[in-house]
Amino acid sequence: MTNSNREIFLDKIATKAGRPRHQLKNHPFVPINDLPESTLAGKSQDELLELAQKNSEAVHVTFEKTNRSSLSALLNDFLSAKDINNLILPTCDKWTTFGLSDWENKLVDSAEFWAPESSRTENLAKANAADGAIGFADYLLAESGTITVATTPGQGRGFHFLPTHYLSIIPKSHILSRSRQAMRKYEAAITSGRLTTSNINFITGPSNSGDIEMVLVVGVHGPLDMTYVVVEDL
Amino acid sequence: MTISTSDKPFLTRVKESENDHFMQQSVAKAQDAQWDKRTAAREELGNWEQWRDLGEQIRQHVIKYLPDYLEQFSDNVEKKGGHVFFAQTDEQAVNYIKKIAKEKKAHRIVKSKSMVTTEINLDKALLSLPETSIMETDLAEFILQEDNWDEPTHIVFPTLHKNRDQIQNVFKKLGYSGSNDPEEMAKFARKYLREYFMQADLGITGCNFAIADNGMINLVTNEGNADLTMAIPKTQIVVMGMERIVPSLKEAEVLDNMLSRSAVGQKLTSYCSFSGPQVNGESDGPTDFHVVILDNGRSNALGTDFEPVLQCIRCGACLNVCPIYRHIGGHGYGSIYPGPIGAVLSPVLDGYEKFGDLPFASSLCAACTETCPVRIPLHQLLIKHRKVMMDKLKMDHSFNNVLMKGAGVATSSPILFKIALEGAHMGSAPLSKSKETSVDNLFNYGHIEKAPSIASGWTDVRDLARPPKHSDDFRSWYKKHKKEQQEGVSHD
Amino acid sequence: MKVAIFSTCVVDLLFPNVGQAMVEVLERIGCETSLPTNQVCCGQPTYNSGYHKESNKVFYNEIDALLSTDADYIVGPAGSCVAMLRQYPHILKDNPDYSKKAQELADKSYEFSQFVYNILGVVDAGAQLDAVATYHRSCHMTRLLGEKTAPFALLDNVKDLKMVPLPHLENCCGFGGTFSVKEPEISKQMVDEKVDSIISTGARVLISADASCLMNIGGRFSRRNENIKIMHIAEVLNHNVDASRIRYKNQPTTV
Repeated sequence: MTNSNREIFLDKIATKAGRPRHQLKNHPFVPINDLPESTLAGKSQDELLELAQKNSEAVHVTFEKTNRSSLSALLNDFLSAKDINNLILPTCDKWTTFGLSDWENKLVDSAEFWAPESSRTENLAKANAADGAIGFADYLLAESGTITVATTPGQGRGFHFLPTHYLSIIPKSHILSRSRQAMRKYEAAITSGRLTTSNINFITGPSNSGDIEMVLVVGVHGPLDMTYVVVEDL
Repeated sequence: MTISTSDKPFLTRVKESENDHFMQQSVAKAQDAQWDKRTAAREELGNWEQWRDLGEQIRQHVIKYLPDYLEQFSDNVEKKGGHVFFAQTDEQAVNYIKKIAKEKKAHRIVKSKSMVTTEINLDKALLSLPETSIMETDLAEFILQEDNWDEPTHIVFPTLHKNRDQIQNVFKKLGYSGSNDPEEMAKFARKYLREYFMQADLGITGCNFAIADNGMINLVTNEGNADLTMAIPKTQIVVMGMERIVPSLKEAEVLDNMLSRSAVGQKLTSYCSFSGPQVNGESDGPTDFHVVILDNGRSNALGTDFEPVLQCIRCGACLNVCPIYRHIGGHGYGSIYPGPIGAVLSPVLDGYEKFGDLPFASSLCAACTETCPVRIPLHQLLIKHRKVMMDKLKMDHSFNNVLMKGAGVATSSPILFKIALEGAHMGSAPLSKSKETSVDNLFNYGHIEKAPSIASGWTDVRDLARPPKHSDDFRSWYKKHKKEQQEGVSHD
Repeated sequence: MKVAIFSTCVVDLLFPNVGQAMVEVLERIGCETSLPTNQVCCGQPTYNSGYHKESNKVFYNEIDALLSTDADYIVGPAGSCVAMLRQYPHILKDNPDYSKKAQELADKSYEFSQFVYNILGVVDAGAQLDAVATYHRSCHMTRLLGEKTAPFALLDNVKDLKMVPLPHLENCCGFGGTFSVKEPEISKQMVDEKVDSIISTGARVLISADASCLMNIGGRFSRRNENIKIMHIAEVLNHNVDASRIRYKNQPTTV
């Protein structure tokens, strides 16, 4: 019903352009070069890690490297360094993978969780009240120092934007060279049905703005600071 | 149509800009800083000219098959449970959005920065609804709103014309008691806006790119307000110009990279998001998702010389390199779309009567064309606008048509030109001054300080060289020179 | 090598010194010059102002005139005017009588310094000038003609000449053809900034490859009563020349 006006609209622009509709099937988009694929291609995981660190630090990210066994200690350091009293965590099955089951269990009473069974209002209120969030990223892009996350029932949209301090955990094997590689992964996951999501976020450092006299200020709406933790043996 | 930001005549606006020293300084400072950042970001990427080829190809392709891509996109939005409304005019768009706001009983509306909603004057229309408040949440747009809805002067940095003291005064009205430090003021805005955000029931966003093959929309920001606008309210309305579409996530990703580097010299902005209506199991994000696709004059460009203007990805790089924008600022253009892209786009959207001055406000230096990430031939489109006005509409544009056509005749005729060369020195005698000038080797035959007719624009600003006597001009010298050469040869 | 001189209307009307210097430099390097007498103007003033019907006649005349002499190349002392000749094929692409001729003209037309540096392969024209100078890069030469190297390379090798970089090299001087006459209010602010930039370098000589920009900037210097010497690059390369110092690309330095 909302599309009752669509045909008139599309016919009109086709007429004005002087080009008939429904030609795309025979003229799909074929890119004239492969720069998105070839730029920074062929790098080893070690090289990507080094690049990711350099480019993340360039956008004011605190960049940490650790391994599975030392991860929980590093997280505790983060909580005390930032003086975090209201922590929010995602609901997911990654804790075991990262060797954090015990660490998570200890926090069940003191931390809040973005919970699939909670309402919009409840989850958003928890995230808004949180002064810290520790979450998992899908990928880290070496070129730009970007983490990518797809929204899931246990790690909603507001999880990444409302808390004051933010830490993201990424396995080293999930460092990709650029945004193109991440897009390919997401497209494949969505097409195959492995991923159902309404939202994909590419997050590059903390929130910032240059709106006042072009002076860069950090933390306008989103987190005031960002920490990336790369787990080297995963 | 409300892309106009001023009722004053063009020259008045130029004069006002000339007197606004803070604005001029801040534009110059912004241009210079962005010049370095943008250049560095593009160099770091490498192969920039080939990236431009790709950017241009993507944009030209979607404009060529625009109806097909819009059809595909709207099908996919609906498959996800969203709604699409095609609006021919600003009025249709505004009425649809008001209707949704009423249906949803929206009381608190949050908006993230969107030029197209400024274009259709959406804020004021929504404020006319009973018991409805609206909040622009981009820091710059928030400042403009709280400063009695001041007009933006840049498509990426809307408050470029305001200094920190002016902004401090705006915030004081909202209870701010801190200093004029940008960081402190931004923190205040964060807190103020966060409270409003948490109560918001309707979110309105623009759209950098709509993804045809999956119905998502792509937004590119630095502050995070767009993502809060898409996370918190139950209803989201996306307003997009009909040309803002790409085939798939892959092309969106390419253009996001080029947009970020061109607009702010970043590899990617802090937040690049690809988003649609909430899916089962998720608790935030819009359960009710609407996309308004707007024509509003854009189709005037289709099938004409001006079609390339629809390639624009709104990076603002052309503003940041423009020497005219540098001096007259956004308000000088009198359109919410200023700078070179505005001088091309504004007459397309809203006609020559209102914006016929803009295509002439250019020295055709082509800095815009050189920087455009999607290769819009901006300075050539300015010439094409001039052509439409002169050749087709026969507008007499403050320049004397008879004189310019005379110039066309004179410069196409060797005989007339010869007469001019012979008479130029004598003809300029009454005007010329022999007094000393501070400049060496430019006025070897005298200079003119006040010239008549169309040349007066020249001498209003600068001295004009007086032509040499015919016997001293280049052609006469060359004749003598050749003769000497031939004689020299015969002497040998 | 036979070179037809594309004198440009500005040089024909106002600046014999520029045309003369260009001819002398070219002939010194071994070019045989001719000056097609029927040439008038490249047509930019009317074309860029939107009078396209009137401009066609200007183009036809210029094409016929410049192709009338037997020459391998056509060389002019103005990046902007040469850039216009290079646009003829695009503008006249559907014109049955002139599309081919326009292409022929465009293919052999060069701005003076790019011809000397890129085509003749000269890196040192043998000139000497004891001065501190700065160079104004014209927009059309840089962006439309795409020539960003030649003038700088040639000036770098002028003996005793100290070149100082000009801040905001990228900004237009505010000439813009009829723009300078039609929009004096904006043009003035642009040329003022350019004059200020030039003064800030401390240079005593301003050099450019476009006589029109020099006419604009120099005219403003004069109105503001600020001192400067204006030199077209041809005049610099023709100054105090020691022909034995002329050096070509890929030629080993003998000294």
